[in-house]
Amino acid sequence: MIETFRQVLEQSVARLSAQTTQYLPPLFVAIVVFGVAWIVAVVLRWLLLHAFKGERFDAFLRRTGIGTMLDQSGRLRASPLLAHGIYYGILLIGLLNAISVFETEITREIVDGVVHLLPKLFAAAAIILAGVWLAQYLGRGALLWASNEGFPWARRFCAFVRVVVVFVSIVVAADVLNFARTVFFSAFLIFAIGAVCAACLVLALNSREVYRWFADSRKHAGEEEGERSIWNHL
Amino acid sequence: MAQDILPQEARLAIEKLGRADIVIGIPSYNNARTIGHVVRAAQAGLNKYFPDFQGVIINSDGGSKDDTRKQVLEAQLDASQLLLLNTPLNPVHRLSFPYHGIPGKGSAFRMIFQMARDLGAKACAVVDSDLRSITPEWFDLLLRPVVHRGYDFVAPYYHRHKYDGTITNSIIYPLTRALYGYRIRQPIGGDFGMSLPVVETYLKRDDWETDVARYGIDIWMTTIAVASGYKVCQSFLGAKLHDAKDPGADLSAMLQQVVGSVFSLMIEFKSVWMGVHGSREIELFGFRYDVGLDPIAVNLDRMVQAFLRGESDLREIWAIALSDQTLREIHAIARGARSSPAESFRISDELWVSLIYEFASAYAELPAARAHLVRSLTPLYLGRVASFVNETRDMNAGEVEERIERLCLVFEQLKPFLVERWGGPRVDELPKPSAPATGHPQEVSS
Repeated sequence: MIETFRQVLEQSVARLSAQTTQYLPPLFVAIVVFGVAWIVAVVLRWLLLHAFKGERFDAFLRRTGIGTMLDQSGRLRASPLLAHGIYYGILLIGLLNAISVFETEITREIVDGVVHLLPKLFAAAAIILAGVWLAQYLGRGALLWASNEGFPWARRFCAFVRVVVVFVSIVVAADVLNFARTVFFSAFLIFAIGAVCAACLVLALNSREVYRWFADSRKHAGEEEGERSIWNHL
Repeated sequence: MAQDILPQEARLAIEKLGRADIVIGIPSYNNARTIGHVVRAAQAGLNKYFPDFQGVIINSDGGSKDDTRKQVLEAQLDASQLLLLNTPLNPVHRLSFPYHGIPGKGSAFRMIFQMARDLGAKACAVVDSDLRSITPEWFDLLLRPVVHRGYDFVAPYYHRHKYDGTITNSIIYPLTRALYGYRIRQPIGGDFGMSLPVVETYLKRDDWETDVARYGIDIWMTTIAVASGYKVCQSFLGAKLHDAKDPGADLSAMLQQVVGSVFSLMIEFKSVWMGVHGSREIELFGFRYDVGLDPIAVNLDRMVQAFLRGESDLREIWAIALSDQTLREIHAIARGARSSPAESFRISDELWVSLIYEFASAYAELPAARAHLVRSLTPLYLGRVASFVNETRDMNAGEVEERIERLCLVFEQLKPFLVERWGGPRVDELPKPSAPATGHPQEVSS
């Protein structure tokens, strides 16, 4: 009994010792690799934050409206954006290098997966970013149209346009990533059909209000013709 | 190099005519009811005041569905009843062609200008086709300063009802005056006279297919003439009574085209207007007299409601252009308006001017948001018109003119803040106000 227990204990210690001698040096190397990457990332971030002003890029972000889209306060600047982007990029590269030190099947798969997925992730992020920008642009156009026409639910209409455009961009991004394609597409279809049904229901339930708005707008047009023509503005 | 947009039949007509001294251009779209009168007035004007000149009347039509072009070609003038002092030496030719390109008044003008240049005309006048108050004297007043006094651009000066021309009175006139320093009272009047060099300057430009193709054309013509240093004057034409009806017209689009053109030209002519302080009168030709005007009724409630709707819906767009202080003041006005009658609604001159200057600056700074910014101005503009109506309800024409003058002075006083926003010197570094630069090649009267 005691002998058996001693053997089990010896085997466990031997296995632990073997695993330690096998994995400890790579772990140490991995920590060193990640540490170096972290130091490089921190130094580069500091340099970029203090040396790179990026005024042209700031102007581009401001002129295109991307700046306010990412940061409503409008205080988004190029140098922190770039510095943080590079910081996390270097950290990711360091992490992948650190993982690959172990040279096991699973770490190899992780590294390969990330390397293959990264371009798709960038593409998907770009699609979503473009979708959000387009949603903002089209939403504002819809809002202006609806408000200037005296449409009763202008902001809701604007929100609806934005949601639809962002949803479309998410569906396209999911397709690029090959991630839950059918789920997103089906969800979009259900959403679109639901939105149409909801719109019909809203119109039906508020038919009196809608009719009044339509009649008012017709009446106003008639009044304007009788009173002050649009040409009196010029 | 100017693009040739003339239709084949217009080219053939130019070849046949060879040359002309004076071209009168009339843009049209479904104006069969009124254009005959305008053509007859033009014909009589040429016969009476320019009998020694070869005159051509050109109608540039936007594809009218009625008999507009037929009316132009068939308009008959009974010269014997007019008791003209001069015997006409040259017949007046009448031409009518459809223009090509973006539908709009600007595209129609483009064809007229191209024909005027190709015919070598010394002077060109353009008038609207819906005018009821036009007389032969208008053509004398628009063309004589060019033909006999060496002016390059003649702007109209009308008597208008106090509620007529509200875009002109609240934005375009005060802003143009503050920017370029010349008091052109009707910069978007629509009836102008100009010399061949001005016409050539217009044709050399490459922005014809922008808002200029539509309602932006009038302010575009005036601004280019002023900013390019041409000799500019005004002619008093009496009353402007017109019969315009375009069911497709939309105030928001109209405002976008006119104000967008002013803002675009501000970007181009930044170096011209930044150095101008104050303003001065320009020569006004013609015998001034009082005229009866068509009454214009306004719907005050609807304008205030449009302002309030905009204030509640368009905050996020206004926030792109307006400073926190301006936004706060607008919200305060809206809060007050929700609990008070429309008759007490007011937007102060200072707030209005700050708002216009801030929109102009944002327009220059944010190209991606330009269309949205200018369209979002509509409720603010309607609010300002409502305020103007309230303030001037009991005023006569002279008092209203004084009221507009006060607004113009506020535009001029606050211009340094606009200059500062556009990267010019800070307000405290600016020189004391003075008249426009003396180097500007313009004779002005004080």
